[in-house]
Amino acid sequence: MHKTDDILLEWKDVSIGYRKNNVISSMLAENLSMKVRTGEIIGLIGRNGCGKSTLLRTMVRLQSSLKGKIMIGGKDINSISRTEYAKTVGFVSTESISIHHMTVAELVSLGRFPYTNWIGVFTALDREIVDNAINLAGISHIQDKYLYELSDGERQKTMIARVLAQDTKVMVLDEPTAFLDLPNRYEMLRLLNELAHQNGKTIIYSTHDLSIALYESDRLWLMAAGKITEGAPEDLIITKGFHKLFENSDIDFNMDTAGFQLKREFTGMMAVTGEASLNYWTSRALERIGIRTGREGSVKESIVTDFQNGTPVWFLYLYDKTYSFYSVYDLISFLKNYKKLT
Amino acid sequence: MNESLRIILFITLLCLTLLLFIIDILAGPVAIPVHDILQTIFTGESANPVWKTIVIGFRLPKALTAILAGMALSVSGLQMQTIFRNPLAGPYVLGISSGASLGVALVILGFPVLFAQGNINPLSIWVQIMASWIGSALVLLLIMTVSLRVRDIMTILILGVLFGSATSAVVSILQYFSHQTQLKAFVVWSMGNLGNVTKGQLAVMSVTTIAGLVISFFSGKMLNVLQLGESYARSMGMNITFSRMVVFISTSILAGTVTAFCGPVGFIGIAVPHITRALFKSADHRLLIPAVILTGAMIMLLSDILTQLPGSDSTLPVNSVTALIGIPIVIWVIFRNKKITPVG
Repeated sequence: MHKTDDILLEWKDVSIGYRKNNVISSMLAENLSMKVRTGEIIGLIGRNGCGKSTLLRTMVRLQSSLKGKIMIGGKDINSISRTEYAKTVGFVSTESISIHHMTVAELVSLGRFPYTNWIGVFTALDREIVDNAINLAGISHIQDKYLYELSDGERQKTMIARVLAQDTKVMVLDEPTAFLDLPNRYEMLRLLNELAHQNGKTIIYSTHDLSIALYESDRLWLMAAGKITEGAPEDLIITKGFHKLFENSDIDFNMDTAGFQLKREFTGMMAVTGEASLNYWTSRALERIGIRTGREGSVKESIVTDFQNGTPVWFLYLYDKTYSFYSVYDLISFLKNYKKLT
Repeated sequence: MNESLRIILFITLLCLTLLLFIIDILAGPVAIPVHDILQTIFTGESANPVWKTIVIGFRLPKALTAILAGMALSVSGLQMQTIFRNPLAGPYVLGISSGASLGVALVILGFPVLFAQGNINPLSIWVQIMASWIGSALVLLLIMTVSLRVRDIMTILILGVLFGSATSAVVSILQYFSHQTQLKAFVVWSMGNLGNVTKGQLAVMSVTTIAGLVISFFSGKMLNVLQLGESYARSMGMNITFSRMVVFISTSILAGTVTAFCGPVGFIGIAVPHITRALFKSADHRLLIPAVILTGAMIMLLSDILTQLPGSDSTLPVNSVTALIGIPIVIWVIFRNKKITPVG
């Protein structure tokens, strides 16, 4: 039961890359075909240099595609006038903007560029839209601050407010979480999610932050080896789409935790038993020094975790001797030394 | 800074400019009472016919020239700083003054007959002005052709500087092979002079300067957005080529005109936009352009007053004064920008 009438964006066999003297000098991805529905939030994921930025720049017409057609609302994007396109698709780049003597509100107001007359006179409607954008982005308390006074998180929200003031159906964002700390990243993605699901914005953003992208995207575009694999994050996990992304790298995708871990070479094995709440973290620490966690009984060397009067204790059984430790750090330090000695 | 403060600042600057305008007319080897000067300016009559000649024939045109030159250079400096996103850009970064000086060098050094001593007539002055204009127009044409093909604005900046250097090299060759008298005439031209503009020339200069300023008003909205860089500007629907054309044409008319009538006047175009931004604490070019026009006129009048050594008949070259005022400001900009990059 698919509705097709709400398809807003469609890529038909598009190839992206660069041209030099009218000859294709580098082809980053070929025959991309994707569809985007109104109000969807799409995370674009791929390794450095795979062409994420090129894809986004092609979407906002900062460069032209090498082949194929991009349709928006049923129209070829190249048939739309400059101003009309600026009213349809907005862009936030990775560039960090700091202009002397410019306030947050002034920067947001620049988003009205395609709507105002030649001298840039604001109507009451323009004002209202700018105010709304500032409120939606949650920056009304800093709107009179100068740009250089802002933190990275505030600056990024200001850039989002500017593109909101541009009042476009589609928002394209290149790594909106790049310079942000963890709480700010979640806040940014929550904001984007809200804009998509409550305000009907269609959002395409690129990111390196997989864990956030997995939670906050309706669909992911996985870009690898010149192709895009698309699907809901969960579908991609189930169909092992993520493994493609990190082929030939030192990273493995862990399907259970939906996280990534370094591929390791293990040099030993130990059993870890006892308190379940301690075992997970103990195993992780052991992995870091190259010891794999084996099943109980399958290996002689073992660690038993326990709580004594509420304090965690680790008992290490090693070649008929028993050692006890009161922190993971002490346990690991001992094992590292022990390995060196033997 | 709120609106009312800015309006107060505007009015203050306007009053200061008027005051400096009067002082500029007062300043000179012949002392004329303020009352007589005001009377001459407003009624065209004076008790003393010599005073009238001095005021109407010399000092008034000179002060008006200073105002026009200050406005023109400052606006073109502002435009260049914003479009190249470089705080040290000025009206001459595109090589406009070099083009003009090549034109002037060709006529002064190439046709000594026109500029032989005692033979300087209105015709030869117009020839010199035309040569200067044609020189800067050719540079503009070159820059435009390049900017149609080159995407990156920094490449245009570098090419502008290189064209300028190449032209200067040709001028040096011309200087090397020319006669002492012509050489001096050329060197004097290159020092800048506000006092050579006659009434007739002033009329022409006013018309072209105002034309250039009117075009610059069209650039305000675009310059605001260009501060974000060209990617953002394009994503907001700006026609980059068109915006460059508007800015380059306006700058060339303005800087080209000043150079044609006054010679190359340095540093005003770099320094005034910074003074104005610091005063008005704004990055909005719809405000900055009129503010820069006013501040530019004021600073140029001040420079012209300072060329007049008190109690002496001789005057300093205006270029030396503008450099001495401008350079400390440029140094201040460099130090300030170490803390905050990039500047718009």
